[in-house]
Formats: sequence, structure tokens, C-alpha cells
Amino acid sequence: MSIMKQNTIIKLENVHVNLKSNVETIKALKGINLNILANRSISIMGHSGAGKSTLAMTIAGLESVTEGKVFYKGKAIHDLKEDELADYRSKNVGIIFQSFNLLPSMTALENVNLPLEISRDFIDDKKSIKLLETVGLKNRVSHYPHELSGGEQQRVAIARSLISSPEILIADEPTGNLDKKNSKEVIELIFQLQKNHKSTLILVTHDKSLADLCDETITLDNGLII
Amino acid sequence: MLVLKKLFLENNFFLKLSIKELRGSFNEFKIVITSIFIGVFIITAVGSLSQNLKYQIDNKRSELLGGTYELSTTYQEFPRDVKNWLEQNGKVSQIVEMRTMLSSLKSLPYKRRIVELKAVDENWPLIGEIRIKSEKKTSSSIKINENIDKIFIDEGLKKQLNISIGDIVKLGNIKVKVEGIIIKEPDRMFSFATFGSRVLVSSQTLKNTGLMVPGSLVKYKLKFIPNDKRLELSFLNKLIEGTNVSLKNIQNSTNNFNTFIERTTLFISLVGLITLLISGVGISNGVKGYLIKKIKNIAILKSLGAKNTQVFKIYLFQMLFIFLMGIIPALIFGISIPFLFSSLIGDKLFSSFQAKIFMEPIFISCSFGFVVCLLFTIIPLSKTYEIKPIHLIRISRDKIYNEYSNKIKIFIIFLICCLCFLTINLTSDIKLAFYIFVSLFISLIMLTLSTNLFFMILKKISFKVGTIKETIRKSIVDRNTFSKSIVISFSIGLSLLITLNIVQESLDRKIYNTINQEAPDHFFIDIQPSQIEDIKKIAINSIGTNNLNAQPMLRGRITKLNNVNVENLKVDKEVQWVLRRDRAFTWGNTKPKNNKLISGEWWSSDYNGPLLVSIGDKIAKGLNLKIGDKIEFNILGRNFVAKIHNTREIIWENMGINFIFFLSDSKIKNAPHTWIATSKNQNKVMSADFVEKVVSKFSNISSISVEESYKAIRSLLKFLIIIINTIAFVTLISGIIVLNSILDVSKKDKLYEVAVFKILGANPKKIISLWFCEYMTIGFISSLISILIGCSVSYILLNYLFNIEFYLNYITLILFSLILPIFITIFSLLKMLNLFYSKPLKVLRAHY
Repeated sequence: MSIMKQNTIIKLENVHVNLKSNVETIKALKGINLNILANRSISIMGHSGAGKSTLAMTIAGLESVTEGKVFYKGKAIHDLKEDELADYRSKNVGIIFQSFNLLPSMTALENVNLPLEISRDFIDDKKSIKLLETVGLKNRVSHYPHELSGGEQQRVAIARSLISSPEILIADEPTGNLDKKNSKEVIELIFQLQKNHKSTLILVTHDKSLADLCDETITLDNGLII
Repeated sequence: MLVLKKLFLENNFFLKLSIKELRGSFNEFKIVITSIFIGVFIITAVGSLSQNLKYQIDNKRSELLGGTYELSTTYQEFPRDVKNWLEQNGKVSQIVEMRTMLSSLKSLPYKRRIVELKAVDENWPLIGEIRIKSEKKTSSSIKINENIDKIFIDEGLKKQLNISIGDIVKLGNIKVKVEGIIIKEPDRMFSFATFGSRVLVSSQTLKNTGLMVPGSLVKYKLKFIPNDKRLELSFLNKLIEGTNVSLKNIQNSTNNFNTFIERTTLFISLVGLITLLISGVGISNGVKGYLIKKIKNIAILKSLGAKNTQVFKIYLFQMLFIFLMGIIPALIFGISIPFLFSSLIGDKLFSSFQAKIFMEPIFISCSFGFVVCLLFTIIPLSKTYEIKPIHLIRISRDKIYNEYSNKIKIFIIFLICCLCFLTINLTSDIKLAFYIFVSLFISLIMLTLSTNLFFMILKKISFKVGTIKETIRKSIVDRNTFSKSIVISFSIGLSLLITLNIVQESLDRKIYNTINQEAPDHFFIDIQPSQIEDIKKIAINSIGTNNLNAQPMLRGRITKLNNVNVENLKVDKEVQWVLRRDRAFTWGNTKPKNNKLISGEWWSSDYNGPLLVSIGDKIAKGLNLKIGDKIEFNILGRNFVAKIHNTREIIWENMGINFIFFLSDSKIKNAPHTWIATSKNQNKVMSADFVEKVVSKFSNISSISVEESYKAIRSLLKFLIIIINTIAFVTLISGIIVLNSILDVSKKDKLYEVAVFKILGANPKKIISLWFCEYMTIGFISSLISILIGCSVSYILLNYLFNIEFYLNYITLILFSLILPIFITIFSLLKMLNLFYSKPLKVLRAHY
């Protein structure tokens, strides 16, 4: 029996995340309760160190939960083993990082195909090329990341995040490394593709104008939703 | 095939991804590939060469033996009835071999060299051909003219005595002409027992030299090819029964040579294996360095949903690909060696040599290569499990999820078992394989423990906040998380170099001390009993009689131990050589100088009873003999039985006269025999003068310089040490891969550090001095650990394996301790140089 409302895709219950360093342990999240509805867009705002990225990465299954529960479609993910979390990510989550994180030894097309290769899915180059066309990189298919501009690299990252048609799309400060013009184009692209793919978008940003584009906004301060 | 196909299809994805991900990274593996290449190449080359030699020997046994059968005897000519029987039943050729001195008459004092004299008759060689180079042309056969005393010599002797074809030299009591240079001698076998170069003469010339006097150590050989291949030898066996004539056939003729090849192969293969194991550290460093650079890529793969095993497999396939790049060329070059040297081997050992490819050495070296590579790669590779995808956002210090550990542990144990199995197979010696592994294991444990200890101490201590010392300490312990990797990577190579250096210096010192304090200067052999008093008189007027040590000597064969034929005995491998060939016996009622009795007592000085024998203690133990046991031996065709009366400690290292078997005074002393003597004097001129007087007065006596023999051994040792030192250097250099990768990875942090320092007002000079101190400290920690391990390992090796006093040369040690701090600091600062020109604000804005 589901413990969630019907259209809730992610649910966090009293989530605490402690980050350890050599010197100290930082309490990044201090009891987050959150419901994220499917096919919606939600922005996470807050100043530096408020816990925005930590919250997004906890939902992505990249950050371990110290205390509390995280559910994806009613299924607990907070106690999954590392390989099960990898499986969860590969099937359900697409991530766009601020610093693109493309593999430098692979072309744009190979980078886009990578999630399919990892999940051992059928690789259809046509689908990947079409996606690259959608993000405006029709002529950059065989280019390596170092041959692309910052904006182009982020477009490849967007295409890669959507190739597996994930239900959740997490964008962690996706325009942080881009100029104003590129930022605008990338954001428009993310929202357009989110709608097309019917994904749930979780956008981490400190830019209120971007946050306002989302259906819902939550603000974090000192590890708590305010 | 189906399994392989399934395996291939299953792993096809990893293969493709591995190769894509490996693009542009080959340069990172130069040292790794070189390390693999050297080790696998040595094992393949030595294995192939050994197999080829054994194959050739099997096919050329008759040529190497010089006939179908060889009969040999020492001191005495063959009985007439034996010769007659052989002549009636086939072709026979007689050879006489002995050691003597050859003197050049070009300048005074005459240059002299000990030579291996071989006198042959007209029928020689029965099989194969002799090739000599004379003044006229290169000839493929020699006709030895009985009326002219001519000799043929080895090329080496020409250089040693500065003589050439046509020169007159002195051999025994006569002058002879150098007629030609021996290019190829068909029945010549390589032997460790060879003292000098070959001199070939006719039987008549040997008689003319006057060297053959009763008691001279002369070996007679008869080569025989029967007219009828199925000739029954029972009559011949009866004729030689009870004599000291031994019979060899083509089946048992080359055993000694085969043993020699096997031992040499084992020794060089061990060098190859140790090289490969040492290279393993280089491989490990290379992989570690590569993976440090790939941390981000691994995190990206994991963030996209790649499982730990998938990532592990991707990088494992990459490594396998790199291994192949080292192993395949090594195999190709290794199996080419017999082909490359075929003409040389043909000239020296066989009339013709056709190299072949053998699968066994390829399989063995290939297996060794893969097992060692995997063993040293698997641990750094397993670290991929520890890289978390969150690393893309921040450095994670969460507890490592170690689901992998058991599988990896089992795989490592499996690889170690494979390596043990292969080593035992290679060495045929479990004890030796055990020693190799235990010493390597202990060294690695010591390295890890001492590094952890140093870092623990650094973590515990603290200096005043804000001081340079505290900043450096924190930088090493806290911020620079890779310091430990740098220390471990460099310490392995340096501790190896220090160990080798200490062992080499201690050995050198021991050799130097032995030569100067214990070992005699010269050996004199083939002294006639009538000449010993005259030699003593010469000694009185030069070196003094105290510095002359002489013993009578006869050679004989052990035939039975406690009434059991030696052929039927199973004895310790280490002492088999005692029973294999003729051994020297001496006698007397006085206990030899510097010999310590281990068990039993020495017989009285006037003892005249049944024959007693004193035997080397270790040999006695190896032969399972104790006091009261009986040894039967054959000397000059007569059998003697002696009872063991005591055992002695024989110190071979003192290079003096050491006899394994020392008999009590008996009738043996009346048999024709020779004396052996040693001389020693601190005054080298006086010592050389004594030698000159003895050998010029008695042309039958040969002298051997101990110093020259030691020089030959030392040059061989030095050659081996150079090989191992080179490998150690490669290992040390492989540390650069790790350092380079670490510097690349930490560049971003260092850039940030520079920016912060600049904002706070620090000038580049101050930042450089801070980094200088930081890298110097890391270098010194590595040096200290290396010295600690190097000294401990060499101490253990010298005390327990070599039984040699540990010697530490402080100057060399100080020089070694400076290598790493200087190298690490210069390399790191040069690599980081461009960071000093960065714009601080730009950097700080871009930082995360």
C-alpha cells in the first residue's frame, strides 16, 4: 500500500544529512520534509551553504541520508545499497551539473549515449542525434568536449540527462558557468524538454528569476525549509 | 568456444567503453609498459634460449661427446686390454687434458697464463670438425704434424699474453710455435671448472713438454665409435670393473651441461621474476596515478548510474589492454633471442644451430606477466569502489561501502596462489619460492606500517597556530590528502636502491677484507713431491715459510657410503655435486689450520691404524653421514674404505686450501701424487717475486692469482647488481607517475591556495618557500622511511642469508636521503610554476 498521495513522485521525511570533513561534521540538512509531485517543476533556493545541492543530490541518490526517509514513488531509496542506487539513477534520474561533467575522451554523441550503454539499453544513434539536434548541436555530434563552448557542453549534458527519458530531471545550478545569453537559452531548453519528456524538474538555483519559472519554489536556510 | 563467445558478448560493452575511455591516455603508461616488458622479456628470452639449447644438445649428443662413447680416467693411462678391445671394435681417438702454464717470451719477466691443455691424436675428432684460423687461411681441418711442436690457442689467450700467430711461446720445458687460433672445437663443452683458455697440441708435443710426470693431474679420454651400433659392451664393462675408468654414453654424457643450463636458466629466470615483481610496484604506481586522474570520470560514470562492478570492469579491461601492449612485444622479442644469437651459439657450442619456437616458455612468461600485472593492479583498481559520484560536488569522506572487499580478497588470494604455483614450477624449489614471497610481503608490510606511523605522529603533533611549521604540517596531513601516496610510491624504489647498495657495499667490504686479510695471494697446483722442499727454501728467502701452506693431494671418486653404491643413494640436492665427479683428497695426522672441529676428535699425531677420514660438517649432514659411518672411494683404480672420525667446519670464503675429505696418514701417501700450495704476503712485490721464482724454476707448476679470480667474480656480481639497480631506478622513476598525477589533480586546490595567499598579501616568494618546505618535508619523510626499510631488509639479508657483516656507508646513505627531497621539490615546483601568475580574483570567482 502506497504511503504517498497518488501523484507524489518524491517524498522526504525528516531527512538529516551530515557531511564529514577531516576537521568537523557539518549538518547540511536538519530535518527536511518534502513532497514533490510528478511532472511538475520545483526550484530549490537559498544562499551558499544552505543545503540546496545536498538536498538535490539526496533526491538523486548521490548523497547518503544520515537520518530520515526518502521515497521514490513510494519505494524507500534511503536504505538502498550502492549498486541499487546506481540502478535507481540510471533508470529514473537525469542530472545536469553546473560544471557539465562530460567525459573528455568521448564525442558529444558518445557522451549522450553513455547512460544507455551503462543501463545496457538498446542504443539508437538516431534518437541521440535527434536529441542533439533538439538542443541545437546538429553539427557538433562528433566533436569532443574540448572542441565545444561552455554553452554547447551544457547542451550536451542536457541531452545526456534526457536520453534515458528519466522521470526526474535534476539541474544543479545549470547556468552557473555560462554567460547571460547562454544561460537564457539553456534554461529555456531545460523547461521545454522537461515539458516534452513529461519529467519532474528539480532546479537548484540562487537566481529568483529562474526560480519563478518553476511551478513551485522552496527556500532553504541553514539546512531547513523556511 | 560458446563460453568464450558468451563471455565476449557479455563484456563487449565494457570493452568498447574501455577503449573509448582510454583514448589519449597511452602516454600515461609508458613506464608501466616498460616495466612489464623488461620482466616478461627476460623470462621469455631465457626460457626460449634454454629450451633451444636443450633441444640442440639432445640432437647433437654424439658431436658434443666426440663419439658414441667416452671413457675417462685420471692420473693413469688406460689399461692396454681396454684400448685393444676398443681398437678391435671401432674407431678410437685418445685425448689427454691437463692444466699448465703458457709463457710468452716477448718481454721479461715472462707473461704467464694458466691454460687448459688438450693433446689429441691423429684420429681426433671422430665426429664434427675443428676450425682454426692460421696465417694462410681459415681451415676447416687441421693436420697436426708430429715432428714440429706447434700449438693452437683460443682468441682470448692471444690478447692475455699479447701474442699472435707465428710467435714462439714456452710450454713446459720446450718452446713451441703458435700455429693458429681455434675458432671451433667440436667436443668442447662449457664448464665452470674451466680455469683458463684452451691450448691444443698433438700427443707428441705433450710428451715433448715433459709435463707428464707421475702424479700430475692428467685426464685421459678415449672417444669411441663402434663399427656395429648394436655392439654389446658387457665385456668392456668387465674390463673396466674395479678400475678408475668411467664410461659415458650419449644418453648420460650431457647431464652436467644440462644441469648447468637448468641452473643458469633458473638463476636468470629468478632475476626476471624479481624484476617483474619489482616492476609490479611500478605497474601499481602507474595504475594508481592513472586512476587518480580518472577520479572525476569515474564519478561521472557512477552519477549516470554505472555500478561499481561496471566501473571496475571498464578499468580492468583498460589495464588488460595495457598489459598486452607490454607482454606481446616482450614475448616476440623474447622468442627472437635464440634466432638472433643462433650464429654465435652455433660457433661456440654447436656446428650448426637452428633456433625453434617453444610454447612452454611463452606460456610460462605470459602467465607470469598477467598474474603479476593483475596482482599489482587489482588493489589500486579496487579503489574505484571508493570513489563516490558525489565527488563531482565535493570530496566525500563518508565511510567506504566495502561490498567489494570479499570478492577482491578472494581474487587476490587466487592470484597469489597462481604466482606461487608458477614460481614453484619455475624454480622447482618450494623453499626458494617461499623466501621470495615472504621477503616481499614483509617489505610491503613494513612500508605500509612505517608510513602510517609517520603520518599518525604528524597528525598528533601540532605547532603554534599561524606558524610556517603548523601550516606545512596541516597541508601535509589535512589538505594534501595524497601525501601518503607520494611517500609510498617513492619509498618502494628508494628502499630497494638502499638495500641493494648496502648489500653491495657489505659484500665488497667482505671481499676486500678477505683478499687483504684471509685469502692467500696465489694458488700453486701440480707440485711434484720432490719439488715441495725446494719451494719451501724459496719461501724462506722471500715470503717466509709461515706464509706458505701446502698439502698433498690426490683425486678420487666416492663409490659407496655405508656399503651402498652412490648411484642408489638419495641425498640432499645441495650436496649432490660431491658424489658427481672426482673429488680431491688430502692426508696427514696434523689438524689443518683454521679448521674448527664440529663433532668427534682429531686422531693422534702418530696414528697409524685403519684409515680414518675427517669430513666437512655441512657435507656430512647433506649426505646423512655421522661419526663411525664408512666412506668407500676409488683412487688410482684402488678402493679404500675410511671411517668417519670427526666433522669440521669448512669456511670456503677464506679461499684457502679446503679439503672436504681429510684422511689419516696411510699407504696412500706412497701413491704418485702432487701437492697444492698457497702463498701470502702483504708485500705485493715480494709475493709476485716468489710466484715468478717458483713458476720459472718449475715449468710443470701452475699458479692462479686469487685476486684475479675474485675480480672475475666481482665483475659478474656487479653486472647482476647493475641489472637489479636499473630496475630499482625504473621503480623509483615510476613514482613520478603518481606525483605527476597527484599534482595535476591538486592543481585546482593549489591554484585556489595561491589566490587566497595573494589576496591576503603574500608574495610569490613566500608562497614558493612555503611549498618548498612542504615538498621537502614529504621528500624527507619518504627518505627516512626508505632508509629504515632499506637498512632493516639489508641487515636481515646480510645476517641470515649471506652471513656477512652489515656495513653502512654513511656518505652514500646521506646522498640517498637527499635524492627524494630534492627531486620531489624541484619537480613539484616546476610543475606548479605557472600557478603563481594566476589572477586571484578570477580564480576565487571560478572556484566551485
